[in-house]
Amino acid sequence: MTAPGPGLAAARALAERHRVKWWEAAPWLAGIALFFLLPSYLAFGTQLVITILFALSLDLVMGYAGIVTLGHAAFFGAGAYTVGMLAAHAGWNEPLSGLVAAALVAGAIGLASGYVLLRTQGLTLLMLTLCTMALLEESANMGHEYTGSFDGMPGLQFQAILGLFPFDLLYYRSQYLYALVVLFVCFVLVRVLVYSPFGQSLTGIRENVLRMHAVGAPVRARLVIVYAVSAAIAGVAGALFTQANAYVNLATLGLDRAAGILIILILGGYGRLYGAFVGAIAYMVLEHVLAKAYPTTWQLGVGLLLIAVALYARNGILGIADALWRRLRAAVAR
Amino acid sequence: MAALLETRQLCKSFGALEVARDIDFRLERGARHALIGPNGAGKTTLVNLLTGVLPPSRGAVLLEGEDLTAAPQAKRVKRGIARTFQINQLFRGLTVLDNVYIAVAERLGAGGSMFRPAGRRADVIAEASGLLETLKLEGDAGRRIHELPYGRQRLVEIAIALGLKPRVLLLDEPAAGIPSAESHILLDAIAGLPKEIAVLIIEHDMDLVFRFAERITVMVSGAIFAEGPPAEIAANREVRAVYLGSAADV
Repeated sequence: MTAPGPGLAAARALAERHRVKWWEAAPWLAGIALFFLLPSYLAFGTQLVITILFALSLDLVMGYAGIVTLGHAAFFGAGAYTVGMLAAHAGWNEPLSGLVAAALVAGAIGLASGYVLLRTQGLTLLMLTLCTMALLEESANMGHEYTGSFDGMPGLQFQAILGLFPFDLLYYRSQYLYALVVLFVCFVLVRVLVYSPFGQSLTGIRENVLRMHAVGAPVRARLVIVYAVSAAIAGVAGALFTQANAYVNLATLGLDRAAGILIILILGGYGRLYGAFVGAIAYMVLEHVLAKAYPTTWQLGVGLLLIAVALYARNGILGIADALWRRLRAAVAR
Repeated sequence: MAALLETRQLCKSFGALEVARDIDFRLERGARHALIGPNGAGKTTLVNLLTGVLPPSRGAVLLEGEDLTAAPQAKRVKRGIARTFQINQLFRGLTVLDNVYIAVAERLGAGGSMFRPAGRRADVIAEASGLLETLKLEGDAGRRIHELPYGRQRLVEIAIALGLKPRVLLLDEPAAGIPSAESHILLDAIAGLPKEIAVLIIEHDMDLVFRFAERITVMVSGAIFAEGPPAEIAANREVRAVYLGSAADV
């Protein structure tokens, strides 16, 4: 049998690109293994899973659609405050419907702000995303009666998940599995989106917006849609944060969180789905280890790592892995 | 009978600078029409006005009599106006097949489809692959654009435009930057374009223009200077003086 020609091989590769690869089971198996093998790290694991979900939402807009934003924490915070305020003031403390409400509120804010902001690009867009976040943060700060202002809303109560698994603030067992399942559901959604023609058109917009206009694509509408979807997912991450920790405060909406998630995604490698996983794990584990060893100077280590990535590994850790893999294959082929 | 594509008194100004002046231009069905003129004559501006990249200051753009003057780019593409760019505008990080897939998917209305994998649109893949075969690009289908020589990239520009099944194809200096050894591939591709597509080519390569065009429009300083069949344009002393020079001897 002869090998297929390059045209046929390319068509076949495109037709099979969306298929699930065997190694894609690895993060989920690792996630389940953590639950059984490291039960004392489940609080850390829960924060890690929430961070991965948040980074994944950012990857959708930044990595795939090329929208550079410094204000993505606006949506994380919107989701976090939605479930917090519903629980504190409306007695709505059923967790799953809380997630849906958070997604709807954050998605609506993403839709409205995206409709305005995405007329711009470059530095203007960057500044406007920052301003949107600052507006929300200041609103949360000023609405003391509803948001608790600077102190936030501590001691929130949520019902047991599905009425069966109560939140456990000591060991985080329920929270961890709950967050892992929500991450899985959102990941499947994001994966479906990025491998769809819609996802491919987003990549086209990132690669060359002039050409996308010239092939008749409704560029702005696509960007606004993906911005809203991404905002909704970030909102779910924020809602998980509030439910898992039973509090919400201004830190969910701040520049620290927005810049941190950007760093995590760049560290892992953006525009490749699993960069969010790798970046979050690398950053948070490093932070955890360094903070234990050097409680006052640990940020220096993280800073040095980021400088090294910016200088030598612009495609992040996954980019390094790719390059090594290519070299290995070339060496074997020789 | 209305021309396939027509402009009426089309003008474009940037402040006091008039880059297109009262352009009355007609492109007939199945035309092989060339637009020539010195640098800065307004040729690319006219293409930008026809495709909706620039809004005109005055005048009208009509496709089969339908006024498209205020229509956005996307609507004009849907109506059948496609273009290539003077400087390649491709998705450089994607494969050649992906580049054409995106264009075909947009034309078929699949570009907004969110929940079905791109790979399951066998119709889009087959059509994109077919176009690559037509342009003898199938050997490069799996290569990323930045890995291709410039001449092959120019062919991908044409493949993307053809993926839109245009009725009007505007080729903005398709041979620009191609080494002469590779230019025959492009010439063959242009010569092989389906007859039902009206083609307007902007080109400085007079050899290509006189081999390809059945009608030539000459632009100078934002206005149409002369128009006619190639022999007439080549014989026009004023055109020779302002632009063609010795190239008209070909």
